[in-house]
Amino acid sequence: MLSKDIINLDRFPKDSPPWGALIHNAVWIAIHLPTTVFLGLGLAILLRKREVFGSSIIKSIIFLGMVIPMIVGGLIIRFLFERGAGIIPTIFGKLGIKSLEITWTAYPQTALFAVILGSIWIWTGFSMLMYSAGLASIPRDYYEAALIDGATKFQMFRYVTWPLLKPITVVVVAMTLLWDLKIFDIVYVATGGGPGGASMVLALQMWDYFARALNYNYAAVVAVLLTLLTIIPATWLIKRRGSL
Amino acid sequence: MKRLLTLALLGVVLMSVLSSGCIGGTTQTQTPVTKTVTEKETITKTETQQQIVLKVIGPWSGAELDAFMEVIKAFEREHPNIKVEYKTYRAEDLATILPLQFESGDTPADVIAMWGWFIAEMGKKGHLLDLSSVINPDEYIPGILDPVTVAGKIYGAPFTAAAKPGFWYRKSFFKEHGLEPPKTWDEFVELLAKIQKIPGVKTPIVSGDSVGWPLSDVVEHFILTFGGRDLQLKLIKGEVKWEDPQVRDIFEKRLVPLLKAGYFSEPIEWTSAIDLWWKGDYALYFMGTWITGMVEDPNDLGLISLPGVKAMVIAPDYFMVPKYTRHPKEALELAKFLATKGQKIHVGTKSGKLATWRNVSIDDYWEPMKEVAKIVSEVESAPDLDDSVGGEWQKVFWDQLKLLWVQPDRLDEVLKTLDEKFPKK
Repeated sequence: MLSKDIINLDRFPKDSPPWGALIHNAVWIAIHLPTTVFLGLGLAILLRKREVFGSSIIKSIIFLGMVIPMIVGGLIIRFLFERGAGIIPTIFGKLGIKSLEITWTAYPQTALFAVILGSIWIWTGFSMLMYSAGLASIPRDYYEAALIDGATKFQMFRYVTWPLLKPITVVVVAMTLLWDLKIFDIVYVATGGGPGGASMVLALQMWDYFARALNYNYAAVVAVLLTLLTIIPATWLIKRRGSL
Repeated sequence: MKRLLTLALLGVVLMSVLSSGCIGGTTQTQTPVTKTVTEKETITKTETQQQIVLKVIGPWSGAELDAFMEVIKAFEREHPNIKVEYKTYRAEDLATILPLQFESGDTPADVIAMWGWFIAEMGKKGHLLDLSSVINPDEYIPGILDPVTVAGKIYGAPFTAAAKPGFWYRKSFFKEHGLEPPKTWDEFVELLAKIQKIPGVKTPIVSGDSVGWPLSDVVEHFILTFGGRDLQLKLIKGEVKWEDPQVRDIFEKRLVPLLKAGYFSEPIEWTSAIDLWWKGDYALYFMGTWITGMVEDPNDLGLISLPGVKAMVIAPDYFMVPKYTRHPKEALELAKFLATKGQKIHVGTKSGKLATWRNVSIDDYWEPMKEVAKIVSEVESAPDLDDSVGGEWQKVFWDQLKLLWVQPDRLDEVLKTLDEKFPKK
């Protein structure tokens, strides 16, 4: 049925798929997703009590990453990891780790990690905010009952807090996954996908095909791939929300 | 009540008409203006003309825009019936917008500055006006029109050009440390070794980043010095491979040893690099002539071209006139002005640019640019390599050079990638 009359197979991409970008997105998800989810949860628990000194200010600083434009976020990441100007290489220099006292975005072995680590700051505010709202909705009675039953703090978290935060976790995980798949702006500004394609991601690859190579066929292929990949977490989210 | 409703409806209609006029109609504004023409016979006659608004898009902002606006003001003085509205757009952003707009028979402006390769591409697709009637090729530096000429039709009006003549230094810095500009390659390497030993200097040469071209400009200068204009042209056309022994030699024997010796810094953001270089963290910076307009004291600037340089890159800005313009006659008039008299005005400002129109003399230049203009006029001009090839390869080129800069041992891989990704004929 698939004859050339129906589908123009001659114009089908013959080059190898953008494996590099796909792998980088996978690495991004593997590091960024669990880190932001657990960091956001930890910070929300830690800062939930008003008596924690400066909790509002700390929350504001963390949430700042969420409210600044992504392009600005990319620029900040660029400078954070630049030798001489940025805090990260300086810290490693003070710790005596000379191999990391470099401009992270300039080296292929560190460029991807620079943008991933930077994006953790940008996105943690989201999960912290979601978990803060979730924690506020858990009735105090549950904790008082657990305390009367002799539960430890860990047991209270394990059997009260975590199960009741499950709907929030589903949303946070799905949204983070979608964000990780469509990541573009900060990579575009901070590294441009380089050096040597070391930090290339799918959305940027799509843009390169579209705007640099003016190869709309290839750009469309990557766009379809991205759409298929995003449908998976989106479907999961819808199903999970239905069962919760 | 009915009357009130009718009035309200009329009000809405009136507002809609007014707002639609405000949003989309700037190029259609036709206000009668009075123009006074003085003729030889001192007869003064007054005629009523239609005010035309031409939209121009270019990449300039800040000081560069100030210099360009001098040209625009001169054009408006010469053409009182034309008002020019300028908007800043980066070429990278335009590359995304323009193909789609052109395909739908529309254009965001009447005259647009863009990359040469992109103009040729759009010209081939029939989206641009042929400028042959307003551009005389004999009046320009040879080869300047090549990137925008397709099948004998000229689709780009050349404006002024930036030259990439070599490594800039501060005369005061050299004087303070007893340094002399080199006359041979060996002296150049010795100079770098001397600079590296100066306390407070991080590396002898600072490398610009965040945009791709600073590193590619350095590489092109090496190719033009040790391979010549001919090699650069063959690389542009794909007639010589990057893995060719002649090209490999330039990298292996000249550039890579300097990178391995740590004479170049790791790539850092190119504008902050200017500040760091100016305050003495670095001694040399390879940059285009526009740097003259970006430093505190352009008279303190000195220039070192690689000894024996045979040609220099002259990279002009080009303007195109989309065929979807509503004012083709006036747009062509502006394109002609920019390609001729406009150049004379532009080189006299702090633009740091060079004329591509031969009717501009050294006396027309801004004082700090006169010496540079002389140096450039003594060597052959060559087209910018990555701008001429353009497309996806240009970004690959920039990206691979960034890799080479921090890991010069990967030269083989870099050259192989450049060949593999080069556009197929």
